Amino acid sequence: MLKVRIIPILTFNGFGLVKTKQFSHPRMVGNPVQAARVYNSRGVDELVFLDITASEQNRKINLKLVSDVVKECYMPVAIGGGISSIDDINNLLKIGADKVIIKSKALTDKRFIEESVSFFGSQCISISVDATKVNGSYFIHNKLGLTIELDDFIDEMNRCNVGEFVVTSVDNDGLMNGFDHDLVNHVASKTNIPMIAVGGGGNINHYTELFTNTSIEAVGSASIFHFTQHTPLDIKNELKEIGVSVRL
Amino acid sequence: MIAIIDYGMGNVASIQKALNYLQLKSTVTSDHSQISDAECLILPGVGSFKQGMLNLRQRKLDDLLTKLVVTEKKSFLGICLGMQLIAEYGTEPEFCHGLGWIKGDVKKIELTGRRVPHMGWNDIEIKKPKFYEGIKSMDFYFIHSYHFIPQDESVIDSYVNYGTRLVSSIQYENIFATQFHPEKSQESGLKLLKNYFASVKG
Repeated sequence: MLKVRIIPILTFNGFGLVKTKQFSHPRMVGNPVQAARVYNSRGVDELVFLDITASEQNRKINLKLVSDVVKECYMPVAIGGGISSIDDINNLLKIGADKVIIKSKALTDKRFIEESVSFFGSQCISISVDATKVNGSYFIHNKLGLTIELDDFIDEMNRCNVGEFVVTSVDNDGLMNGFDHDLVNHVASKTNIPMIAVGGGGNINHYTELFTNTSIEAVGSASIFHFTQHTPLDIKNELKEIGVSVRL
Repeated sequence: MIAIIDYGMGNVASIQKALNYLQLKSTVTSDHSQISDAECLILPGVGSFKQGMLNLRQRKLDDLLTKLVVTEKKSFLGICLGMQLIAEYGTEPEFCHGLGWIKGDVKKIELTGRRVPHMGWNDIEIKKPKFYEGIKSMDFYFIHSYHFIPQDESVIDSYVNYGTRLVSSIQYENIFATQFHPEKSQESGLKLLKNYFASVKG
């Protein structure tokens, strides 16, 4: 039986690991290589590493650093940040990334996503879906000044045959007050592609609630691991108690 | 020496890292004489079946590998796409010929109520225990949209349940191939690789 995945997310700003609140107010939280080493020793299901300022600052992700992070990991790793060419993807796969996570380029260049999927296969192309609610409807948060409805974007990426959606509630990001179940259920109803739910996990109950109220198979988190004593294993132990299939 | 075949289909670094961790000497190569001289061959790979075959042919590796593995019986480990390519036919993105070492074809996973790709940790049901001794958890990491359907069930090494039974590994004579990624499956995967190479390298 397929196990649900609890995935630590490392967000990097070009200098160190940071954790944002609602995609602003970055707070320094440490060193990426050290963090990767700790997560590997804890046997986490998967790791996500995102350079969250690469696209905005118009720079490429630091391959040396990513390589050092990946070297610590004997589990799957997904890497994102500033990916805009086939070479960018190839460079990341070559140093051991299993999946790449694309955001900005997916908003502006659907052809690039199609091309990436046909070149590397669906399974290694993940798409960031950063959603924010405005007047009761979900839109894609972006710094490009674009107005993109969530549903339109999901439809478009479904047609591109991507491998995964990393669905983040921007409104709940870093607040540690629970996940946006409506968002998760909404996206789940629009696609048959695997999803990772992100944004809002602050205590163990938030995870049991998420898995009770949605059909999600993977969850990504940062704050709870940076700012509390809880580990991914604590969450899995609790999920097991309520009958969710986990890898222990 | 173990040769990790480099044919431009992704993630060769991870497999070499796992072998380094196990203190097994390996080289990443597409050089014909290096490949011919190796004790064991690993065909890794992610991406589409058609592209994979195209890349093998461009490097004239298809005939070489067939000679070494099928005729000369050199030990062969295929991983993910490297398992699928040993089939007779693939369908990603359209019908095409594979290496044809094991009778059968590779088809898209089509299941109602299941998300595709089949992605994440799933436990396997072992049919041939040879390489699995001492492995505590049978959860391995999967990431695939296509699956191998061998004609002869006796080659099946393990199954995985994803709404239906899919073939998760194959073992036939000198060929061992896994749909899951042992190099990404932490303790279980490293132990499997250790067992496998201990067995084939004597």
